[in-house]
Amino acid sequence: MAAPEVHHLFHRPIADHSFSADRQTLAIARDTQVELYGRVGNAFKLKDELKGHDKLVTSVDIAPNTGRIVTCSQDRNALVWEPSPTGYKPTLVLLRISRAATFVRWSPSEAKFAVGSGDRVIAICYFEEENDWWVSKHLKKPIRSTITSVAWHPNSVLLAAGSTDAHARVFSAFIKGTDQRPEPSPWGERLPFNTVCGEFLNNSAGWVHAVAFSPSGDALAFAAHDSSVTVVYPSAPEQPPKAVISINTQLLPFMSLFWNGETEIIAAGYDCEAFRFQGGEQGWQLAGTLEKVKAGRPGLGGEDREESALNMFRQMDLKGKVTKDDTQLKTVHQNTVTMLRPFEESGGRVTKFSSSGVDGRVVIWHT
Amino acid sequence: MSIIQQHTQATLSDAWRTINIDALTEDSSVNFDVSTLHPPLPEISEADARAINGQVRQLLRGGDAEGALRGCLEMPVYNGSEAAKETHLHTVIEVLQSIKASEMTPMLQRIFAQQGGSECLDVLMKYLYKGMAATSAAADSSGRATPARAMTPQATGGFSQVGQRPMAANESTGSAMSVLLSWHEKVVEVAGLGCIGRTMTDFRRV
Repeated sequence: MAAPEVHHLFHRPIADHSFSADRQTLAIARDTQVELYGRVGNAFKLKDELKGHDKLVTSVDIAPNTGRIVTCSQDRNALVWEPSPTGYKPTLVLLRISRAATFVRWSPSEAKFAVGSGDRVIAICYFEEENDWWVSKHLKKPIRSTITSVAWHPNSVLLAAGSTDAHARVFSAFIKGTDQRPEPSPWGERLPFNTVCGEFLNNSAGWVHAVAFSPSGDALAFAAHDSSVTVVYPSAPEQPPKAVISINTQLLPFMSLFWNGETEIIAAGYDCEAFRFQGGEQGWQLAGTLEKVKAGRPGLGGEDREESALNMFRQMDLKGKVTKDDTQLKTVHQNTVTMLRPFEESGGRVTKFSSSGVDGRVVIWHT
Repeated sequence: MSIIQQHTQATLSDAWRTINIDALTEDSSVNFDVSTLHPPLPEISEADARAINGQVRQLLRGGDAEGALRGCLEMPVYNGSEAAKETHLHTVIEVLQSIKASEMTPMLQRIFAQQGGSECLDVLMKYLYKGMAATSAAADSSGRATPARAMTPQATGGFSQVGQRPMAANESTGSAMSVLLSWHEKVVEVAGLGCIGRTMTDFRRV
C-alpha cells in the first residue's frame, strides 16, 4: 500500500471537497467562499475563488460530466456555477427554505440535485427550461429535524437522507419531465415524488451523520453519532428489510462513509482516520484502519526525529527533560475527517479515495 | 439616508434573536412529541425490578458474579417508575461492589466477546453514570443537612472546611464512587470511547 498523498491547503476547517472528473481541479468549501485548486505537478495551487455566499458554505459538489459546481450555504441559498470561458457564472436556485442549507449532491444523471436543510425539508432542484432557472420541489414528510446528509441511488430517482431525528430515510425524488421511470427495485415499484421507501433507526438512535447506497443501490449504509455503522438490505417494497446490521464500534463517531464494492465500507470521522468494514448480508465487522501504523507519513515525519539522540539532548537542553511531542496526532489528519469521496475506481472497486478534514488537509489514500 | 440608518440600527440589535421562532412553526420539534420517533419500550414495574434483584442476589450467593452482572445488564429498566429504576440501579451497584478489582477486566472482556456483549457494556456505562449522579447527589444533600455546616458563617469568604469534610455518612458514598470510577476506567478500556458516546446519545435512559 503506497503512502497517502497529503495536501495541507490552509489552517481552516474544510466543510466539503469535490474533485472534477479529470481530478485536476479540486473545489474546497472554505468559510463563505469556495476555492478552486488546480493540480500543478504534485501539489494543488489556488487558481480561482467562487464568491457569492455570505455565510458559511456547507457543501460543494462538481458534476463530473457537465462540470457544473453546486454549492449551498448557511445563508439559505444554493448556487449553480456554470463553467464558461471567462470563469464560473453563478445562478441562484429558488430553494424556498428558511434555515441553513446543509448538504448538496448532484444526482448521477446530473439533471437535478438535492439540498438538505435545517428547515426539515430536502429541496430537489431541477432546471426549468421555459423560465430559465433552477426551481425546487420539497421532500417534507416525515422529516422531523435537520438533514445532515443526502446520497443518490444510481437510478437518480431514489434519495437517501440522514437526519438529526436519528432516522435514515429513503425517498423517491421523481420529477416528471426530468426523470425516466425507474426500474422496479427492492425499494419500490411505483415511485411518485415523496414516496417514503424506508425509514431506519438504529438501536440507540443517535444523529445520522452520513448515508450511502451501495454501488448496486440494493443496500444502504448509514453512520450515526452512537459510533455505529448500520447496513440495511431491503427485501421488497412495503416489506420489512431482509437484514439490518448494526456495527457498534469502540471508536468515536463517523462523519462520512462510502462503499467500496458491495462487501466493503470505508468510514472516517472524529477519530481522524479511516476505517474499513467488511461483510455482507450475514454480518459486518470492523476490519481495521487504513492508516499505516508506522512510517510513510509525508508532511509529518515527526516520529523518526523524535527518537534520535540529538533530539533527546536538544530537548533536555531546552526544557530540562525529555518530553514526548504530544501536540501531534499519530494520524495523517490532525483533526476530524469531515468528508470522504471515491477518487479513482477500476473494475467496480475504489482504488483511491480522498478525505478532507477540520485540519485543512485533503488526503488521497489508496484502499 | 436616515431611514436606512435606523433600519441598520434595528437589524444590528440582536433582540430578534431571542424570539423562539420554533414555537411559531407549527410542525417544528418543540410542537411535536419527540418520543413518538422511537419504538415504544417494554414497561418494567417495581415488582419486576425486585424480582430481578432477587434472582441476581441468588446468583451472587451462588458465586456466579459474571452471570449476575450479565443478568442485570440484560434487563435494564428503560421504561418504568422512578422506584423501579432506583431499585435496578441498586441491584447493579450491589453486583459491582461484590466483584473484586482483579476480576473486573477479564470479566468485562468475556462479556464483550459474547453475543450482544457490546450492548451490555453500554448498559453498564449508563448505570455507572447514573450511579455517580446518585452518589454525588447523596453526598451533596447529606453535606448540606449537617448542622455543622448550617451553623458555619459563610461570610468568611474562604472554603468552609467544616461542612466539606467527609462525614461518616459520606464515607459509604465515597467508597461507592470509587468503585464506580474504577469500573468506568475498566469499561472504557474494553468497550472504548464509543461506549461513552452511545451512553450520551442513546434515547433509552436508565
